[in-house]
Amino acid sequence: MSSIPAQRPKPLHLLAAFASGGLLTFAVFINAEAGRYGGALYSSWLAHGTGTLAAILVLALLRLRQRPAEPSVSGKAPLWAYLGGISGAATVMLTSTSVNTPLALAGTLALGLAGQVAFSLAADQWGLFGLPRRRLTGRDAGAVVLIVAGSLLIIFLGMGS
Amino acid sequence: MTLFIAYALIAGVLVGLSRQLNGRLAMSTSPLIASFWNHIVGFVFLTVLGLVLGNLILPGAADAPWWVYLGGPLGVIFVTAGSWLIPRIGAVNSALLVIGGQMVSGVLFDLARGAPMTFWASALGVTLILAGVALTQRSR
Repeated sequence: MSSIPAQRPKPLHLLAAFASGGLLTFAVFINAEAGRYGGALYSSWLAHGTGTLAAILVLALLRLRQRPAEPSVSGKAPLWAYLGGISGAATVMLTSTSVNTPLALAGTLALGLAGQVAFSLAADQWGLFGLPRRRLTGRDAGAVVLIVAGSLLIIFLGMGS
Repeated sequence: MTLFIAYALIAGVLVGLSRQLNGRLAMSTSPLIASFWNHIVGFVFLTVLGLVLGNLILPGAADAPWWVYLGGPLGVIFVTAGSWLIPRIGAVNSALLVIGGQMVSGVLFDLARGAPMTFWASALGVTLILAGVALTQRSR
């Protein structure tokens, strides 16, 4: 639990989140192409390796220019907070397996969506892993229903013809 | 089959878990530093896994086009954005808005490259998503 209140998204947040979803579309497409040549494990390994180099480069450039920004909470992060990368790497292994079963891409995407939304609801409800707790409202429920319904429509009826 | 359904569900949970952990790390450091740790920890994990399993790099890997090296840097921006957002707007809003952006851009991307698509369903899906996004923006 933390003292920072979680806000309703402002237009800047909306833009950042929506645009990063768009970036993800391209990253998934590019990584799939790497996987077609070198395999799923290679694709994820390559993305994490080139990503590490890119992050080091940008961090080095920022350090040269300015003092690092103050973190929003004082004190060290717990050790488990460094394990997000393992969770991300495991995701690739699971999806690249399930995509090649009768679930196919549509089933994998739809179930992944369900898992992600269920986790995020629990995370906000209880403030899991040290992030702010956020009381869920009827409006949240409405947004969940509309966005999940729209996504499922695209996944099961829109993709392919 | 139940096993694979569980795989796909857990994959979704892990996407949320990853954003939650990186968001917590960003609160003590910065979103970009959290993204750096996400990538280097994942890289070490996958390297060890590749060495244990073998076949980390299949022979065809060298024939891939040059732009396959851009997926990683895009991923850095993606994780940085997620780590910046989640302490500010919460896990549900972050997940919904990123999923919305991914679905809408996916439809536009498929349209642009002429991939097969059932247009009415995709258009209706995009409309529902945009309505949901608008709902997250309404003031209390």
